[in-house]
Amino acid sequence: MFELYLLLLPLFGGILIYLCNKNITVIRTLLVLTALLHNAGCALLILYPHWNIPIFRQYLGADEIFQFVLGIMSFLFLCAAAHAYSWLPVEHKHDPHHMPINVFCAVLCTFVFTMTLTAVARNYGLLWVAVEATTLASAPLINFHRSAGSTEAMWKYLLICSVGIGLALFGTFLLGMSAKMPDGTAAGLNFSAFGKDVIIHPDYFKAAFIFCFAGYGLKMGLAPFHTWLPDAHSEAPSMVSVMLSGTLLNCSFLAIIRVFNIAPDPLQNFCKDYFVIFGVLSLAVAAFFIIKQSDYKRMLAYSSVEHMGLLAIMWGLSMQEITLLHMTFHSLCKMMLFLIAGNILVAYGTRKVDQVHGMFARLKRNGTLWLVGIILICGMPPSPLFLTELMLIQRAGFVLGGIIILFLFMVFCGMTYNAVRMTMGDDLTCPVREQDLDAERLFKVPAVILVILILSGISMILENYYNL
Amino acid sequence: MEHLIEFILAVFLITNLMMAASSRLMHCVKIVMIQGLLLGLLPLFLGHLDTMHLIAALLNISIKGIALPYLLVAAIKRADVCRELEPLVGYSTSLVIVLLFFAVSFWLGTKLPAEESYLQLATPTAVATMLTGLFIVMARRKAITQAIGFLTFENGISLFGTGRMLDFGVAVELGILLDVLVLVFVMGIAVMRIKREFQHIDSDKLHNLGDREEAE
Repeated sequence: MFELYLLLLPLFGGILIYLCNKNITVIRTLLVLTALLHNAGCALLILYPHWNIPIFRQYLGADEIFQFVLGIMSFLFLCAAAHAYSWLPVEHKHDPHHMPINVFCAVLCTFVFTMTLTAVARNYGLLWVAVEATTLASAPLINFHRSAGSTEAMWKYLLICSVGIGLALFGTFLLGMSAKMPDGTAAGLNFSAFGKDVIIHPDYFKAAFIFCFAGYGLKMGLAPFHTWLPDAHSEAPSMVSVMLSGTLLNCSFLAIIRVFNIAPDPLQNFCKDYFVIFGVLSLAVAAFFIIKQSDYKRMLAYSSVEHMGLLAIMWGLSMQEITLLHMTFHSLCKMMLFLIAGNILVAYGTRKVDQVHGMFARLKRNGTLWLVGIILICGMPPSPLFLTELMLIQRAGFVLGGIIILFLFMVFCGMTYNAVRMTMGDDLTCPVREQDLDAERLFKVPAVILVILILSGISMILENYYNL
Repeated sequence: MEHLIEFILAVFLITNLMMAASSRLMHCVKIVMIQGLLLGLLPLFLGHLDTMHLIAALLNISIKGIALPYLLVAAIKRADVCRELEPLVGYSTSLVIVLLFFAVSFWLGTKLPAEESYLQLATPTAVATMLTGLFIVMARRKAITQAIGFLTFENGISLFGTGRMLDFGVAVELGILLDVLVLVFVMGIAVMRIKREFQHIDSDKLHNLGDREEAE
């Protein structure tokens, strides 16, 4: 029942928002309200699962992995909505040629609906439908500024992701063909059908896994299928980038995990190899593109590719719990950074690293948050990511661990170099402008997240220290 | 009945060839429409007829045979293009390539363990249609033609799933149809935006984004 509530709430909120035409105050209040109610529903579902009355059991349901994905998604939605509460008027003031705000917020709510559906779906077909729907709902959001660049990014995103997800549909059909009940009838695609007594045809399953991995992996941003990701994530307005990077990628990863989870025992290693190979490849591609990056939002987008690679490697090395931890903290950290990147964009009006100087002088709060955030996402202590990455390297052994450290070091160099260039130096512009003040006022949500990150990082490190 | 199914699959293959060789966008839309209609009709000849099958077939026909072509035609009119001039791969070369796809997919079809006689012909046809669709997406310039290519690709996947879809649940079948419908709708909007922003819809000229250093 909670699942249904979580699904219908954003839809209902979206319709209400759409009806509010041009009244920005009402729209942004409704958006925050929707997010709050969504969070409340999530909290109830996760904390008191026994209160939940199952409904449409075939299609909807809850389990452990989804709690992470749904919880992160809901929390990020709340943060993005809270940030948007002050960001929307600022954006409207400085660049009035954007998409109508009511349409934008309504589509955002629909996007949340589709992601919730991805998390609660209990049927591989429905899962596919939900993942495809996330593409459709997020594509218009990228085009918020209606610039040439964002139009191009939207088209590439739409076409590449649709074709990719099409492959996953083929994989889903193959999955349906691979599973038979002992009496020879088709098992269907419900998760519950893949119980103990189902017989899975290994060849069909291999083909199904490969197609699903390619399709959902493309949506997740694993190299070499990541090409759409930097374009879409950098052209989208920052609060959409937050949702794309922090939650949508997790949802696609969840879809891959769902397929992986039913792999018969002899095929487990076959599937894990795929995770590791494509994870390392993503890490490598991200490292090489970050080290010579001249656009700070693209840099963050490639950092997402890097972290998706790390997640895949962790999953491939059977570190399930660590993977989920890493996913949570990456989402939080990336959200904070994208919000700050949006503030920098408000103040400087450019995404080029070499045109942003002296943030410490001009944007003290944002500059500090930016530098600390970049250091945290690179896995420096006291970041929680430090601990998860350390555990990954311990598990990976000499060769793989060495390769991972090398690429992580490259990412660190590239990102901190850019961040230092942006924050240090002299501020060449004259007196403080209105944009700067506006950007400085938008620091609240990122600051709260930063505090959460550092506190949880310190507590995790201390906990591990005393356990060892 | 068996002959009718074979006939439908053969028509499917012919439409793929026509798709590869036609330059007029309206013509391409008609071909996609024919494929949609055939896809809707196919389950009716597979033997087991009941209300669910009939409703699914009706929905398939009305969405893939009527709604999607309508949306595409609207987008073509808005974008004010009627031909795919100078495709990246010429029309005769495209034909040869699509014929090669046929050969490859039928060769693959012989390798698959087919349980039903219907599958022996349907699977290679589906794979050939998917490959043709992907090829159209890659080898044509206009954004609209790429959308049509994607639809062909999707038709191929649906053909593969025909007859099995209802085992997977009605919600799945309806969801997939709805997704495709919304997708074409959003693509139509995207094409309009591209037209307004760039005054053309040549997707190969959309190359402003990237990681290379700009010469300034």
